[in-house]
Amino acid sequence: MKFSLKQVTFRNAAMLAMALGLLSIDVSGTAGQALLAATSSQVNSAAQRTHGSASAAGDAVYAAHCAICHGENREGILPGFPPLAGIDHQLTDAQIAELIRTGKGRMPPFATMPNEEVTALLKFLATAPATGTTSSASLSLDGRKGLQLSPEAAAGGAIFQQNCAFCHGRDAMGGETGPDLTRSKLVLSDVNGSQIGQVVREGRTNNDKKMPAFRFSGPEISSLAAFIHARVAAADAMKGGRRGVEVSDLQTGNLEAGKRYFNGAGGCAKCHSPTGDLAGVATRYEGLQLEERMLYPGRTARDTVTVTLPNGQEVTGSLAYRDEFTIGLTEHDGTYRSWPTEDVKYTIDSPVEAHVELFSRYTDDDIHNLMAYIQTLR
Amino acid sequence: MKLFATTLALVIGAILLGATGPRPLAAQDLEPAQLLHPPADSWPLYHGDYSGRRHSKLTQITPENVHDLGLAWAFQTDQPAEIKSSPLLVDGILYFTVPDNIWAVDARSGHMIWHFDHPTTEGDHIGHRGVAMYKEWLYFTTPDAHLISLNAKDGTVRWDKVIADVKKGYWSTMSPLVVHNHVIAGVGGDMDNLPGLLRSFDPETGDVQWEWDATPPAGTPHRTTGGMTWVTGTYDPELNLVYWGTGNPTPVLNGASRPGDNEWTCSIVALNPDTGKLVWGFSASPHDTHDWDAVEIPVLVDGLFHGQPRKMVMQSSRNGYFFVLDRTNGKSLLTVRFGPTNWALGVDKEGRPIPNPDKEPKPDGRLIAPDEGGMTNYRSPSFDPKTGLFIVDAHPSYSLYFTKPADGDYGWAGADYGLWGKGILEAIDYQTGKIRWTHELGPGGAGAGVLTTDAGLTFTGDAEGNILALDTDTGKTLWHSGTGASMQTSPITYELDGRQYVVSGSGGVMFAWVLPQGSATSNSAQASR
Repeated sequence: MKFSLKQVTFRNAAMLAMALGLLSIDVSGTAGQALLAATSSQVNSAAQRTHGSASAAGDAVYAAHCAICHGENREGILPGFPPLAGIDHQLTDAQIAELIRTGKGRMPPFATMPNEEVTALLKFLATAPATGTTSSASLSLDGRKGLQLSPEAAAGGAIFQQNCAFCHGRDAMGGETGPDLTRSKLVLSDVNGSQIGQVVREGRTNNDKKMPAFRFSGPEISSLAAFIHARVAAADAMKGGRRGVEVSDLQTGNLEAGKRYFNGAGGCAKCHSPTGDLAGVATRYEGLQLEERMLYPGRTARDTVTVTLPNGQEVTGSLAYRDEFTIGLTEHDGTYRSWPTEDVKYTIDSPVEAHVELFSRYTDDDIHNLMAYIQTLR
Repeated sequence: MKLFATTLALVIGAILLGATGPRPLAAQDLEPAQLLHPPADSWPLYHGDYSGRRHSKLTQITPENVHDLGLAWAFQTDQPAEIKSSPLLVDGILYFTVPDNIWAVDARSGHMIWHFDHPTTEGDHIGHRGVAMYKEWLYFTTPDAHLISLNAKDGTVRWDKVIADVKKGYWSTMSPLVVHNHVIAGVGGDMDNLPGLLRSFDPETGDVQWEWDATPPAGTPHRTTGGMTWVTGTYDPELNLVYWGTGNPTPVLNGASRPGDNEWTCSIVALNPDTGKLVWGFSASPHDTHDWDAVEIPVLVDGLFHGQPRKMVMQSSRNGYFFVLDRTNGKSLLTVRFGPTNWALGVDKEGRPIPNPDKEPKPDGRLIAPDEGGMTNYRSPSFDPKTGLFIVDAHPSYSLYFTKPADGDYGWAGADYGLWGKGILEAIDYQTGKIRWTHELGPGGAGAGVLTTDAGLTFTGDAEGNILALDTDTGKTLWHSGTGASMQTSPITYELDGRQYVVSGSGGVMFAWVLPQGSATSNSAQASR
């Protein structure tokens, strides 16, 4: 098993190693390790020819020991090998040094690496990777849209295309079922994965949402966030030609007709008041978000349930859980209680059901008119 | 009804006869002939058999004893991807998948025999639906749209072939269909303007035997692209036809650049498995602009329709319509809605819904039922021959659809937003389309597949992660168990060592359910599916 660097890039060699069953990184004396050794020794000879600044020395160390798995430009080879672009924001120098010395998971320990090489490597990892590189398939797809991504964002882009794009669209501007992330308040308030990370790790399963949880590493989340932020910047740059739904798209209705619908056929006034609960609603929400909430505000804690126990006692709280077999509620003081449905009687008061009943009655004009009226409640 | 029962008895008799013949005992070996008459101790095809009915003749677990059902074992894949695959069972070993992964698991004990882990860095990892098997070989599709053949004994790779080019935007998630010496594999890929296709591979060499394209090449003026083939079809050996559902046209939400019915997108097609030639097609959603793939299982049923014996194909389609066709020629017998829809003006004389142009996506939005996930999706429905009920996980739902010039005419070309939905199991009388019973499954939707058995049981899952056993006659719950995550698989059943197992997956865990040891004697040892 011999490879010449002229014929096989680091990436290809690593991919081949992966195809061989991830053997190469296991320290188990296999053919894969021989491959790693063969490749490394050739890289070493290349590295020995490199002289210059500490960062350049680090570059050589990186090329010799790290690039085979983490990519020539620190972009990683996902899902097996995390990107290292921006790793200095994730870990302290001491932590990185420790990782190098002891290894982790598939990563072998580099216990005998000279201190000066580790130091050079740390300096190198703290520098920004070369920009303008294109290495992953996702980049070629994004290339169609002319977007330049940093290596970290490109690495995140690869994760995004494999795991997120189906629902959120390749460009994060919405796809099948998933919302446009470039307009998400959570994304806009996110710094380096601070908000995005939690949603990705925990998923969103409450309130009719169906986003699954994903088990990504810190660096992977970071790169994912970098990609999403790059998409936000790209979307902002689209200005007039912006895809998706703008506030200005939702101005086709007739205000007076909408007001009549609110007070008449729609039955909205039975539960809502423009000077009460809806006062200022159009300053809190706008555009598509306002229209979505207008049509269906979601199952909220406003669903209340009253459970009658076998002894006649009644317990009331907000609906916390319900299936055929179990009814659960949260009492005023936050206590959760549940019962088998066959042992108790219960009634649920769900004001939002009135919104569901309207779906089959609306015309599209009704919705646009109602939207025109609701938007005046500022 | 009596004639129907008699016809049915004849059909069952014929199947039993076929199953009692000798069959090879070699381990991990699946002769193509077995696919025609799967024995009770196997589930050798995605649907269990070629018909797509997901119905079993097994009767050990009954409405009377199902309350005793308990866990035989649970298998932890220990990874975050949800199991969406329908396992195969051959010679005591289950094979199931998530993207890039196959597990071979002992069907008796639930312990792992081998695990194939092949990380790919390209292609959509949205889900995976399972493997196919021919003789001692498995066939596995990958996110980067390859077809890999592996040794069923140890998971080692024999060959690796390309179904379609991932760089163009194809991926693959489906379980291939084996017919004769053909391994038929399909693709996904509606984020780009690409023709959907099926490719048939030689099971031994992996050579391409034929390719069928659902639509003309990209760039053909005024013609659509799309028609992805991402769910396993069915097969009628007598007519020698495979039936396959095709996906939506592209651009998806903007139909302006692709006038007409957009054949053969959102269609049920009948192909000759030896040549890949189209014999007939039926547009379930002519000129779709809502992403309503018609890839749902084309279920093959022989029986009476309004007094006349018929060879039928039935589909509960994502667009909210239930279709019954004569599968010899694709002519409509019945078209009826199975939930709220508001996008069609009616049904034409060929039984096809007539799309309302005003309900195509618009710049200021249109309220559409069902939502983009559809009235049902890829998990299997089940047909119960005794009751004549077609049982499907339905999803009444509403959403907003938008498109405007800035969205262009490539890929998605618009935006849509689900507003509300719920899950409901529906039992449809196939001769009238009337819904005989419904069973609420919870807010949002359930999405689980359905299995029925001759004992009169229906297995499925609810929105909260319970697996349910219902009375097929009435839809009443007879048994349940919480599984900790919603069930994204279509359940299967088989009999080993005289015990009937039901296998279902929730989250990353596969569960096998049985009656307590010794509690029921097998009265189905000679039964066949």
